Amino acid sequence: MIILVLLIVTALAFDFTNGFHDTGNAMATSIATGALKPKTAVLLAGVLNLVGAFLSVEVAVTVTTQVLKVQNSKTGQLLPGITPSTGLTIIFAGLIGGILWNLLTWLFGIPSSSSHALFGGLIGAGLAALGSKGVNWTGITQKVLIPAAAAPVIAGIVAAAGTWLVYRITRKVMKKRREDGFRWGQIATASLVALSHGTNDAQKTMGVIALALITTGHLTGNVAKDGLPIWIIFSCALAIGLGTYIGGWRVIRTLGKGLVEIESPQGFAAEASSAAIILSSSAAGMALSTTHVATGSILGSGVGKPGAEVRWAVAGRMLVAWLITLPAAALVGALSFWISNSVSSFSTQLVGDGVIFLILCALSFYIWWRAQKQKVDANNVNADWDSSTNSVVPADVREDATDKAAV
Amino acid sequence: MIYAESLLKVLVVGLVLGAGLPAVFALGLVAFSTGSGGADADGTAHAPNPALKYLGLALFLFVAWVIVTAIAWIMRATLIHHFGIDLFPFIHSK
Repeated sequence: MIILVLLIVTALAFDFTNGFHDTGNAMATSIATGALKPKTAVLLAGVLNLVGAFLSVEVAVTVTTQVLKVQNSKTGQLLPGITPSTGLTIIFAGLIGGILWNLLTWLFGIPSSSSHALFGGLIGAGLAALGSKGVNWTGITQKVLIPAAAAPVIAGIVAAAGTWLVYRITRKVMKKRREDGFRWGQIATASLVALSHGTNDAQKTMGVIALALITTGHLTGNVAKDGLPIWIIFSCALAIGLGTYIGGWRVIRTLGKGLVEIESPQGFAAEASSAAIILSSSAAGMALSTTHVATGSILGSGVGKPGAEVRWAVAGRMLVAWLITLPAAALVGALSFWISNSVSSFSTQLVGDGVIFLILCALSFYIWWRAQKQKVDANNVNADWDSSTNSVVPADVREDATDKAAV
Repeated sequence: MIYAESLLKVLVVGLVLGAGLPAVFALGLVAFSTGSGGADADGTAHAPNPALKYLGLALFLFVAWVIVTAIAWIMRATLIHHFGIDLFPFIHSK
């Protein structure tokens, strides 16, 4: 029971990192073009994420059934050979993999996919515990991998088309009126993305908590039919809302300033494309990465505007991060499982899970401390991008930090 | 290829809603801006035209209506589950 509580706390912590890692998906362009003040933007995004989490449970269903094979898909019973305690440790280790990868990419300001971090962690822990039969490979390919590869491309095409159309149609409108008009459009579409982020990503955590409760038998297997207990929805909504409000300024900076120098019509077209794709895939229960969609859209808006410049070096670094997110998180997940498993082999499971929980806390704190030393926040989020290093930390902050280190 | 088909669907829906709606919004902006009078980017001056202005507003409203409907569609299952309200009683997709 203590383990279950610990697991739910960790799941909510993941949800929180998910929120602040992904604030940028919705708000980066609005912050970069000055349509919204940074603080206002994150507050708006936080509230809308909270609301969005209540809209639907389709994606949660995907998470409970399509990633790990712990339950019989027809009856909802646990499969033979899996005890509730192994099941819990798998999920727990998976979450740890997800959180650590999220924090690490945030430190470098890379908008990697929180969903892949989560699925990677779960897959790794599942492989470590059960071998390849514990993982639902067909489910992962169909509902996770294929959407992952296709989403940024589709988003890019749609955003490029939208940007081109928008510039083409409004080319005669006075510049000031155009900026003002699209600023409003931008706020509206960015809000939609925040809302859709809530429906899509908060549900992933809901799915994980549901999976844990199914494992321990507190919940029947059929989420699609019976819905989720309201306290799960509520706590996940709150965690992702708070996380979003705290704001992952590093990621916001990369998306808003690093990839493309954005004007408000571009931001508008990019957000419209993201919102349309994320919402339609949520409705279809596809757990696609909101980050991939948002990044693809922003890139597309750079391609679609005649004469705009895209920093492909930054885009390339991101692509690498995307490719390794799943395996890296899987590795952390698997390691966590092994540590917990070997510790509990000579003590109890509670000690084993406690140990990995403490490791998680220690590493999280270390990463946070590293980030504090070269801080990116609401004040310097829009500082000029340094193309020579492509570092997320603004040049003056970096020099300050080196000076202090020298003294 | 069932994947290719569903991906194509997402692409089409994405293009219609993700690029089409912004284009409608842009048209609304052009109508509204021209209707408000003043000078264009190239310097030609126009008299205000209320009809065009209202057309612009109508286009904005249309975009807003599509968005609200889309969100209601996504919430459909949840609304039915918790409140027993079906906003789209004539469409049975599932």
